[in-house]
Amino acid sequence: MTSTMTSAAYAKGLRKVYRGTVAVDNVDLDVPRGAVLGLLGPNGSGKTTTIRMLLGLVTPSAGTVELLGADMPSGAARVLPRVGALVEGPGFHPFLSGKENLRRVATAEPTLSSAAIPGAVRDALDRVGLSGAANRKFRGYSLGMKQRLGLAAALLVERELVILDEPTNGLDPAGAREIRRVIAQLREAGSTVIVSSHLLAEVEATCTHVAVLHQGNVVAQGELADLLEAGNPTLLVSTPDADRAVESLRDNRIPARIAPDGVRVDLTAVRQPDVLRALVHAGVDVYEARRERTGLEELFAKVTENELDAAADEVPAQVPDDWLSPVSGSGVSGNGVAGNREES
Amino acid sequence: MSTAIAATPVARRPERTGAPLGRLLTGELRWIFRRPRTLVVLGLLALAPVAVGISAAAVGNAAASGEGPPLFSVMGGNGFILAIGSLLIGSTFLLPLVVTMSAADALAGESANGTLRGLLLAPVGRLRLLGIKAFGVACMAVAAAAITALAGLLTGLVISGTDGLVTLSGSTLSLLDTLGTLGLAVAWVALQLYAFGAIALAISACTEHPMLVLAGVFAGNILFGILGSLPALSWLDPFLITESWAALPDLLRDPIPAEALTEGALRAACYIVIGLSLAGARMLTKDG
Repeated sequence: MTSTMTSAAYAKGLRKVYRGTVAVDNVDLDVPRGAVLGLLGPNGSGKTTTIRMLLGLVTPSAGTVELLGADMPSGAARVLPRVGALVEGPGFHPFLSGKENLRRVATAEPTLSSAAIPGAVRDALDRVGLSGAANRKFRGYSLGMKQRLGLAAALLVERELVILDEPTNGLDPAGAREIRRVIAQLREAGSTVIVSSHLLAEVEATCTHVAVLHQGNVVAQGELADLLEAGNPTLLVSTPDADRAVESLRDNRIPARIAPDGVRVDLTAVRQPDVLRALVHAGVDVYEARRERTGLEELFAKVTENELDAAADEVPAQVPDDWLSPVSGSGVSGNGVAGNREES
Repeated sequence: MSTAIAATPVARRPERTGAPLGRLLTGELRWIFRRPRTLVVLGLLALAPVAVGISAAAVGNAAASGEGPPLFSVMGGNGFILAIGSLLIGSTFLLPLVVTMSAADALAGESANGTLRGLLLAPVGRLRLLGIKAFGVACMAVAAAAITALAGLLTGLVISGTDGLVTLSGSTLSLLDTLGTLGLAVAWVALQLYAFGAIALAISACTEHPMLVLAGVFAGNILFGILGSLPALSWLDPFLITESWAALPDLLRDPIPAEALTEGALRAACYIVIGLSLAGARMLTKDG
């Protein structure tokens, strides 16, 4: 094995073929301990299949997986007690209450002593804000409450690694914000988090690392900040005197142009302090100067560009703004867009 | 909402790789027997002997002077015969249905709810999980047989008291002997039912549609019934689980002829071994 002890999850050459359809192909992943990895990709890009292979639920057709240093799926019994997961939506029994459902999950947790079960269940419900609905039947839960209960089950005991598959599905903005808060807390406590999403803003707000999956392949991977700055770096200078600023910069052979919100400076060939020094020397008032980063959306479009164009021809109903309705959006795109090629 | 999320990777207790088995088994039983549909089905099972007893008593009074099926007419006046008769009546359809239903819920139903994945992720080892599920189905088989027999016995006792506990051979049984024979009957029927349950578990491990399990087992049940009734295919009979039921009335004789009952028990055991092996093989390769 080539992974180091610093990887919470490590995959090499992962491939999964379902009856001649390639769901995931040659996926390499390396999630450092303590990271929050956003697994990004359109619906049907292989996010869930990858997660299921990481967790040992599915045996890969080829490739290897290591989770917290143990080979999967053979090491599942040793590793999974330290891993919390919410995969493919929350699975619970409709005829049991939220609390009874969690108790049932707790019963199977190896690291929970029987005496500790009621307390752990109470804490988990409390953490996701479901204490008030603890005794209501799961059947009567709203989509968002179901999702929270799934999160509660994943956080029932201390976890070194938490894997959340589309955790904000069906949540209102406040609920989504709470999930982000929970993820931040997990990270502060030293846990590693892998969170899959097709919502770009979501990932940008919570993650330190990103892997972009497209048609079963990883098309981009790395630290979020690095990936975002991979494009042409620019500096946005906010000043009341834009004309003079541009003039003085050009005098110093620094490329700059006027933008609606200030002056945009190209940092490809020049360092940020030099720009500021030039401005200050010229006596230009500067309110603020900040690095402008490529939006994740832009990056995402870039790495999945060609295929998306091709897919747009096949699926005219492709909804670009599925963050407005995450649930209904998932039904529209899906496998038509996904990279399902015939096994050769 | 509490703000502290405990997730320190350091300071861990000694690693356990599985939750205590006893806790898992009681959890499984609680899940089965708190389920509304389980309670409804067991309640209906208990009602069947009552209905049979009452109608048999009515027919028996009329048949005392005229015609009527012999076993049916004696059922009304005899708690012992009513209990075993109820098991026999249930054996064609009702009792296997109940056990198949529980086996269908055990794996296919959990799979459909997404809860099987939760158990696999806990993690509960795949074979361990099958063992727990097989235990639950076994309990259901015993409960179904016991409730039917008990309801039959109580109905008979209410209708005619303890006087009429005669066997078909004509000897009279004490209440204790009656209970002993009924215990044997319940155990034997539960074993037969468990054979259905094991096959159902094998199908249940292959699908996430509980309905498919019911359909599969009952198609088989009916097919076996037809095969068993064809004289040209009588060489098949030793392999048909449905042929065992014919031995059940032997328990009404005194002394009890053991041959057919033993053969039925062995046949059931074979089905159980085959069913659970298939289920185990499937569980190990199944995608979670």
